[in-house]
Amino acid sequence: MSVLLLRLAAPLQSWGASSRFAHRNTEIAPTKSGVLGLLAAARGIRRTEPLTELLELRFGVRLDQPGQIIRDFQTARSLDGRDSMPLTYRYYLADAIFLAGVSGDAELLHGLHDALRRPKFPLYLGRRSCPPAGPVSLGVHDGELEDRLDTFDWLATEQFKKKSYQSVRLEIIRDARPGERVSETVLDEPVSFDPAHRQYAWRPVVRSHTDRIANAVGVADDHDPMTLVGG
Amino acid sequence: MSVYLTRFRINTARRGARKLLGSPHTMHAAVRAAFANPEDHEREGTRTLWRLDAPAPATVHLYVVSPGKPDLTHLVEQAGWPTTDTWDTRDYDGLLGSLRNGQRWAFRLTANPVHNGRLTKDAKETQRFGYLREAEQADWLVNRAARHGFTVADQDDGGPNLMLHRRQNVTFRRGNGSVTLVTATYDGILDITDVEAFRRTLTGGLGHAKAYGCGLLTLAPVR
Repeated sequence: MSVLLLRLAAPLQSWGASSRFAHRNTEIAPTKSGVLGLLAAARGIRRTEPLTELLELRFGVRLDQPGQIIRDFQTARSLDGRDSMPLTYRYYLADAIFLAGVSGDAELLHGLHDALRRPKFPLYLGRRSCPPAGPVSLGVHDGELEDRLDTFDWLATEQFKKKSYQSVRLEIIRDARPGERVSETVLDEPVSFDPAHRQYAWRPVVRSHTDRIANAVGVADDHDPMTLVGG
Repeated sequence: MSVYLTRFRINTARRGARKLLGSPHTMHAAVRAAFANPEDHEREGTRTLWRLDAPAPATVHLYVVSPGKPDLTHLVEQAGWPTTDTWDTRDYDGLLGSLRNGQRWAFRLTANPVHNGRLTKDAKETQRFGYLREAEQADWLVNRAARHGFTVADQDDGGPNLMLHRRQNVTFRRGNGSVTLVTATYDGILDITDVEAFRRTLTGGLGHAKAYGCGLLTLAPVR
């Protein structure tokens, strides 16, 4: 198996899976539908076209730097200024960095890597107003999706590492394998992006953590005053 | 006269915990409510101090130093594990008695580094201003260490052996108004120079905002 790894970093990102009406929420991590949409945009697949080959990809994401959720209160008026549009609350992740991976056929992944370097449509992280900071593709790697997400270098900024503890474990959210114990099920398996009838299926998800990662520049967390008074 | 050190682990998944962690004012009231007798909360030369530590993600400890034994049953019921885990209270006197001049300890302190000044040149009243820069916050502790009975040890490069983290502005409601505090957590190595003054620091606290989780200095072995 091969894995295409992506670095999803930007001042703002927004990954909706269950937004309704005037509250446009964001998940805490990139969604499969959002990332497959990004890959489809790179490839130049239009919304009305079938996604066929992309639908077979397995998806996982690691929360290297979780970021902060911020809210945008948005007002809008019609072009002639006479009508006011509904007030909306839009949520974003600020300053987040994620490592995402899709695994599948090696040839397909190499094609996607090339497409991400020369995308047909502009790339954005969940919302049109959220362009990525830096190149998205980290290249195609051999191995299983789980192993690559477990062992790939920690992508957080130096500043974030300094504020973290000296030993950290990163959260991983990925597609469940058949027969595996599922943590939750989300309505986030894209079937069609056609604006006339968008379709999503339920996606079984497993949440886990990496092994401990040593972080030499981090904050010590070993101060235990109870040791001096009898544990 | 005895002093006690208490550790209570907060169950961050509970609604009561959110309320306590969201406001030092609420936490102060909860700590105050742990003492049936006023003299267990505040006694001549000794007062109740508390601090929140997060040794690992989703693990939050409340440390309390107090002149009497606290009863944290109400905290366990609101924000703990009522059937499995309660709290640990240890006698602090043994440690206080074993301190000597010249000893070296690792310490942790969450404090409210401030200075007094006037907002404008012709303002009548002086008021407290928080130190916001890391270097200023470090100097604040180094400069007042001597009168609290210790010095901050030197590093190899000659600077003080100090690390500052969780430097933040805390704002919370109190009655109809609000309180804003600058806090910083200091980790470092200290040498005891005046053991009497140092004991008073451990039991009486250091700096301002002691009711709001600042000023409690704790010791651990140097590694």
